[in-house]
Amino acid sequence: MQIFIQQFATGISIGSVYALLAVGYALVFSVFNFSNFGFGPIMMLGTFAAFYAISLLHLPLIAAIILAMAVAGIVSVLMELMIYRPMRQKKALKLYLMIAALGMNTLIPNFAIQVFGGGVRAFPSEWAKSVIKAGGITVPRADILAAALSIIMLVLLWMFLYKTKIGLGIRASSFDSGTAELMGINVNLVAIVIFILSGASAGLAGCFYGMKYSVYPNMGTVAMKGFVASTVGGLGSLPGAVVSGLLLGFLETMISSYISTTYRDLVAYGLLVAVLIFMPNGLLGKGMHDKI
Amino acid sequence: MGYIEGILISACINIVCVCGLLLLTGFLGLFSMGHACFLCIGAYTSAILSINFKIPYLPALAAGGILAAVSSIIIGYPTLRGKLSSDCFAIATLGFSEAIRLILSNFNHPYVGGALGISGIPHKTGLLQAVLLATASIFFVYNYTHSQHGKVALAIRDHADASELIGVNIFREKIKNLMISAFFCGVGGGMMAHYYTYIVPNTFGSVMSTNLLTAVVLGGVSSVTGPVLATVLLTGVPEFLRFLSNWRLAIYGLVLIVMMRVRPEGLMGHKEFSLIPIVQLVKRNWKKSDVLSK
Repeated sequence: MQIFIQQFATGISIGSVYALLAVGYALVFSVFNFSNFGFGPIMMLGTFAAFYAISLLHLPLIAAIILAMAVAGIVSVLMELMIYRPMRQKKALKLYLMIAALGMNTLIPNFAIQVFGGGVRAFPSEWAKSVIKAGGITVPRADILAAALSIIMLVLLWMFLYKTKIGLGIRASSFDSGTAELMGINVNLVAIVIFILSGASAGLAGCFYGMKYSVYPNMGTVAMKGFVASTVGGLGSLPGAVVSGLLLGFLETMISSYISTTYRDLVAYGLLVAVLIFMPNGLLGKGMHDKI
Repeated sequence: MGYIEGILISACINIVCVCGLLLLTGFLGLFSMGHACFLCIGAYTSAILSINFKIPYLPALAAGGILAAVSSIIIGYPTLRGKLSSDCFAIATLGFSEAIRLILSNFNHPYVGGALGISGIPHKTGLLQAVLLATASIFFVYNYTHSQHGKVALAIRDHADASELIGVNIFREKIKNLMISAFFCGVGGGMMAHYYTYIVPNTFGSVMSTNLLTAVVLGGVSSVTGPVLATVLLTGVPEFLRFLSNWRLAIYGLVLIVMMRVRPEGLMGHKEFSLIPIVQLVKRNWKKSDVLSK
């Protein structure tokens, strides 16, 4: 039973990383109807910002995390302004957006390997490494921080989307961006806000992933699990993204502790295929398909 | 001579694979992030057949291709049905390719060899075979894309709903193209196995998928000769730019982004490379000089 609770805590913390990533994908998908496959590099750059802020500038952990979120948000907005927006204005096929995103997925990590070096580094925070023991269960502080901050981030996001005027604009644009623009909503501003939010959640997720495992230029590949979670939850659905992110983290931990660690990565893709066969719209998704 | 021959053979192998991918990405507009898995399936199948069952070269390649085509249904059936977003297909190909690599790395049967892969595959892909197979695939794909099948694929890419209205069975067309594309990649993987004489699962990672996609995108999305020329270019040029080899992947990424921003239809666009305009140009100039000399 103790082992189960221990694994449950691990599952929640890795699940919250997936949930944050999935929310980032879902935010972009809900408005623009395409998935930003360049999400991994955003997360990686944010994490490296936190890594260097702590190891070179000796900033406290919280400041480094905020810096990571800011850097990731800026990178994400730059991506939108320099690549996605001009392509959308040219009415490019969705395929072209995906190829450009794959290009970034190739360019940025390989660039980072040449600049930062390809080695695997430990996240330089002593505070996060120490563990808390309670009743025979050992939980690293990083796990608690990850779960707590993810929940705070998700609640703030929910408040922002449902209680503010810009949030209303975002929801209107995600319903129908053309009509929203006719109603006087500045869709370009909405786009920038969306990309900042999704970038910031990627940066936060990257910091937790770095604390839990390590920091390296190819860490962006984990963002694919976030995308799997967002597909399983229903593309573009925020509650679906959170639920399926947590579910994915939980399943992965349980399978690696009770069945086999080798096939841990198969869980995500097996879940994806199973959901696509039996519930093509995802767990909580509406009828999502390519718009005409 | 051996060096240049080696480059030519790898170019031919890549051409066979690119011929497959351009059907799917170029003509049908489906984005695959893990086409290397079909190469992997083809390479393993043909290698196992030719080492352990002494099957001749061409039947072994064909078996690899057919198994790759059959396995592509596993991805295609759940993700291409109905009106699912094409993002689902992209992520499923990536997941499938990772899953295949993971399973093969941990499968310690003597035929498969786990993470160490298979070595001692007979060296059967010579220059002649490679050129013949590449020519055959270009011939097939060129005729396929210039027939009704290719036009239907273009219609689905540009206007899925309109083509459905005029009676195109979108699901069947997509599965058909996916299977043909997987078949070519499987054959290409088999050729690769019989050329390098050893294969490990990690060869068939995302880097290989990106290389294939770069060739298709650089060449042109609705052209056959464009991607083929781009493949030759992308296989040959890195050999001269060895000093940049660390930056190669970064440059590939940059090429993809810049192409999509500047000229998304690719270098050749919707045109085919042909010698006829050059011949006409030469003829015209020759006539002109003829007139001048009189």
